[in-house]
Amino acid sequence: MKLVLAGVAVLGLSACSPRVALEAPKEPITINLNVKIEHEIRVKVDKDLDALFQDQSELFGGSSQ
Amino acid sequence: MKKRLWIMAAALMLPLAAWAMSLDEAKSQGLLGEQPNGFLGVVKATPEAVALAQDINQKRREAYLKIAQKNGISLEQVAALAGQKAIERTPKGQYVKTPEGQWLQK
Repeated sequence: MKLVLAGVAVLGLSACSPRVALEAPKEPITINLNVKIEHEIRVKVDKDLDALFQDQSELFGGSSQ
Repeated sequence: MKKRLWIMAAALMLPLAAWAMSLDEAKSQGLLGEQPNGFLGVVKATPEAVALAQDINQKRREAYLKIAQKNGISLEQVAALAGQKAIERTPKGQYVKTPEGQWLQK
């Protein structure tokens, strides 16, 4: 419990520490990785990955999205 | 006496499991972020965050491997596609790594 309190205190401190002002980027960040795979397979893998993200949301987070 | 000690030790261990961090917590606290290689990266190393990343990355690897074998492509290709998808889906405020290896807050 003490450890938890200490952790909360540390979190609290870091939240209050002066923060370098970062300007939010105006355009959305897009990261193009140029993964080269045949289109048909890519579509299939994409589907499999969507299913994976959905079924195993604990591996990817953001289940509420 | 010894038995009592064991019970006390066990009782002390219990809350640890209850306090284990979820992935969403770790991400929203800025400890972990998504990388282009499809695996979680540690933005700010705490023992709990590092352990969580290791555990989840191991499970991700197994899942990627299954998809790779099913479609006849490499694990790296599946992982890279997953990385792209995970980065796209990352909500504002959480960290993602650029292909250049820099952490960015979305």
